[in-house]
Amino acid sequence: MPLLSAIDIVVRFGGLRALSDAYVNCEPGQVTGLIGPNGAGKTTLFNAITGLRPPNSGKVVFDGVDITNKTPYRRARLGIGRTFQKLEAFTSLSARNNVLVAAEARQAWDKSKFKPQEVTDQIMEAVGIGHIADQMVGTLPTGTARLVELARSLATNPKALLLDEPSSGLNAQETEAMAGLLRRLVGDGLAVLLVEHDMAFVMSTCEFIHVLEFGQVIATGTPSEIQRDKAVQAAYLGAVPEVEGVLS
Amino acid sequence: MKQAFANLSKGRAIAAAGVALAVVYVVTQNRSIAPFSATNIATFIVVGLSLGGIYAISACGLVVTYTTTGIFNFAHGAIGCFCAFAYWELKVNRDVPTPIALVLVIFVIAPLIGVILDKLLMQRLRQASLVVQLMVTVGLMLSFMGITLTIWKPDTGRALPHFFEGTKGVRIGDVTATWHRIITVVLALAIALLLRFILRATRTGIAMRAVVDNRALAGLNGVKPGVISGASWALGCMTAAIAGILIAPETGMVVDNLTLIIVIAFAAAAIGQLKSLPGAFIGGLIVGLAKAFSAQFVTFGANFAYAQEAIPAVILFIAVLFLPEARLATGTLRATRRYERLTSPKEALLGAFVIFALVTAWANGWIMWFGTNFGERSDVWLGRGAGFMILGLIMLSLIPLTGWAGQVSFANFAIAGFGAAMYSHVGGHKGEPWALLLVILICAPLGVAIAIPALRLKGLYLALATMAFAEFADKVLFRHPDIINGNATGTLYEPLRLFGFQMSSDPDDRKAFVIFLTIVFSILFFGLEMLRRTRWARRWIATADSPAAAATIGVNLTSSKIIVFAISGGMAGLAGALYGLNRGALSVDSFPMFAGLPLVLLLAVQGVRYPGAGFMAVLGLASFPALLEVTNHWAPLSSIELIGPGLAAITMAFRPEGAVFYAGRDLAGILPWRKDARAEKAAVDQKRRDGDIRLDEINDLGLSRDFTPDKVAQLDRVLNIADDVPVHTQPLREETSHAVAVGN
Repeated sequence: MPLLSAIDIVVRFGGLRALSDAYVNCEPGQVTGLIGPNGAGKTTLFNAITGLRPPNSGKVVFDGVDITNKTPYRRARLGIGRTFQKLEAFTSLSARNNVLVAAEARQAWDKSKFKPQEVTDQIMEAVGIGHIADQMVGTLPTGTARLVELARSLATNPKALLLDEPSSGLNAQETEAMAGLLRRLVGDGLAVLLVEHDMAFVMSTCEFIHVLEFGQVIATGTPSEIQRDKAVQAAYLGAVPEVEGVLS
Repeated sequence: MKQAFANLSKGRAIAAAGVALAVVYVVTQNRSIAPFSATNIATFIVVGLSLGGIYAISACGLVVTYTTTGIFNFAHGAIGCFCAFAYWELKVNRDVPTPIALVLVIFVIAPLIGVILDKLLMQRLRQASLVVQLMVTVGLMLSFMGITLTIWKPDTGRALPHFFEGTKGVRIGDVTATWHRIITVVLALAIALLLRFILRATRTGIAMRAVVDNRALAGLNGVKPGVISGASWALGCMTAAIAGILIAPETGMVVDNLTLIIVIAFAAAAIGQLKSLPGAFIGGLIVGLAKAFSAQFVTFGANFAYAQEAIPAVILFIAVLFLPEARLATGTLRATRRYERLTSPKEALLGAFVIFALVTAWANGWIMWFGTNFGERSDVWLGRGAGFMILGLIMLSLIPLTGWAGQVSFANFAIAGFGAAMYSHVGGHKGEPWALLLVILICAPLGVAIAIPALRLKGLYLALATMAFAEFADKVLFRHPDIINGNATGTLYEPLRLFGFQMSSDPDDRKAFVIFLTIVFSILFFGLEMLRRTRWARRWIATADSPAAAATIGVNLTSSKIIVFAISGGMAGLAGALYGLNRGALSVDSFPMFAGLPLVLLLAVQGVRYPGAGFMAVLGLASFPALLEVTNHWAPLSSIELIGPGLAAITMAFRPEGAVFYAGRDLAGILPWRKDARAEKAAVDQKRRDGDIRLDEINDLGLSRDFTPDKVAQLDRVLNIADDVPVHTQPLREETSHAVAVGN
């Protein structure tokens, strides 16, 4: 049984169905990819899972518990962490305090003995942002601010981590470092759900991929299966001959 | 309407039922109901509809500006008031024929005010935080009130005649509907329909709605957002003017009364969920009919003599409960400084000592200021000093609430009033020091109780709910003899005795009282600086920066807000108890809603996030009587207590962080050990040299200017995009290349 599964999720914005019967499953120790063209509903699905936009129908099950009707902070306390595509850092706090807030919040439900300050320092080192600890997040370059967000969600010690385009704004070197970090986290048993546009990044890090188009899952499978999938090719490129026309 | 009920959560349903029960209680306890005769009912309907029509006009204008610009105009009533006085000046004082006067005010002065406000202020406010938006429009409200009071001094009586006064009107049975009233109803309907037509069917109106939905996209389609927001402000001000001119003959030419229409307009607009024109129109009629009904049929007993004036506030409070629960808001980018540096305990202690030393020296007359003989401070100024320090305590109570947690409350002055009243009951009448603690314990839950119904709502709705409470407290709570008995004899407060000193409003006790207040102020200042370093302050700030992100790291937003409301309420209550002691007596009208507004503004201008701003704001308060004294009560300064804070708050559109922040950043570099401050200053100067692009202009950049390579480079610097990471091109390129890879 997967750690996190969203089942038959429907989200409507007025008359528009942003998601119709979308689903996704996440296993611990795996990076699961969620890809699709712009506007396919990837972020909306994240919002349905984390409770920021409760689904109109469908079910979200985490760790054997139905969390469909739980508030966002309750879900976080059960072990779902996330980052945002459009940065949601605490811009008037320093990078370190961004992470510290999360570590301190964790004390409300995690009764194991830990010192928030120490946890914060460890995570910031691990993510590689120790050197900008005192800088205000609002003034950091986008890529670095994304790392702060990642560190912040790690500080809550999540079991599943939802990353919304973590590599956008990062240069090639930083992207490589991010991939390495993800592999390490997954090695420790974390389940990662990844929305990403950088296909090289997706294909090299994900064990399993869901493809979303117009709010529906059109394909699931391993990276190589997805690359061969006709529906996926059509979704990304339209009719194949057209692309050849563009390329020639 | 179905939507509105869907918004009502269980907690808020209980609150709504509670308010409704309280209303029923007040009515049944005190009413004597006039007979429901045909005459009475007809009068009720005629009066109610015409009042309601005026409210509807005002509310519709408010809704138009809010839906098309996203800025809620607290100055709506005050602008209408100013226009009503301008109309009086033309028509009555200068004998301009009525039609010309009307055209001048409604079609020239009012739209001009709107366009100027839009160009100078509102376009800058679009990207500002809610706190800044509220402060600027409330500042405008006080400024317009002050300007009106200065031009048209309240010492002469004025009256605006009804339209077609002296004509007979239309008789309906035994009741006469005057032409003024008939015109009002017809005009209200016409204006509502016209506004609806403009928004639905004209190009401008559709563009207006498009701009709200998506500015950039509307711009790409050829809409000029600047022109649109100007038109919308002009429309808003015109409706305000019409409502002001129509209501003035009913309420009399009194600035406070005319400005208070905003509470009614807020209530009507809230019934329309702040966005529906038909809803606001019906809302206006509901408020008008409710007021007329209670005037015609219900006579309140002595305990609730002013309850009728609180009807709009109660309706507003209930309507706010039905507003949609906010989805967890995402944050906006705020880049104020590069490094976070908190005041260290030593620095905070030093600051507290400086405040204590300054005020103590002043109270003893060691600081030469305003013709005091050395070593002696005049009783008048000592009394004022005590008053300002107490108001300073109320302002300190706002720092964690508004500055850190980002919650705008206009109720803290009312909570202080409640604290003052409670102190006289629980021990102040015997001079018991421990009663101060009791007052804190009473007022902390009160602060929470006011906020709870609105906790999950947008910040704006909370501000409206607190304003409604302040108005309700002034009109009902503080006028109930069990709370403040205006006719009671005997002393309310005995002098407070501590460590052998005696403190009260008595001239002999004043110096000790001022010094005691300063000690309290310094302790709270130090306490706040220390609180800022704790996890609680971090959590509040995080919650204000991005509620959505705070929730996804497991922060319980509701409980963390409740704590900050309790702290703020407790502090306000303590300040209130001391306020009562300083006044010596309380009258039923000691705590009007308007009196609390300048405090919020003065603090915000100084920097609502910084405890030091509390003391600077005290100096600001003291500067107004000082200015009057220096200028020998120069007539144009007569309303400086309103205009001063008002104009100061307006400057926040340009300097949103507050004076203490900018001064601190620029002056700290002088201190030899503050290398960080010098680096910070250098970075700011660099940014200023980098160009004139403001973050809020970026949206318009591609639409109104050419994209030269220079501009792009400048943009990159403003947005902090490094040269080697061309973020704006990367995703596209990557996506195509990998898509091709998928194709293979």
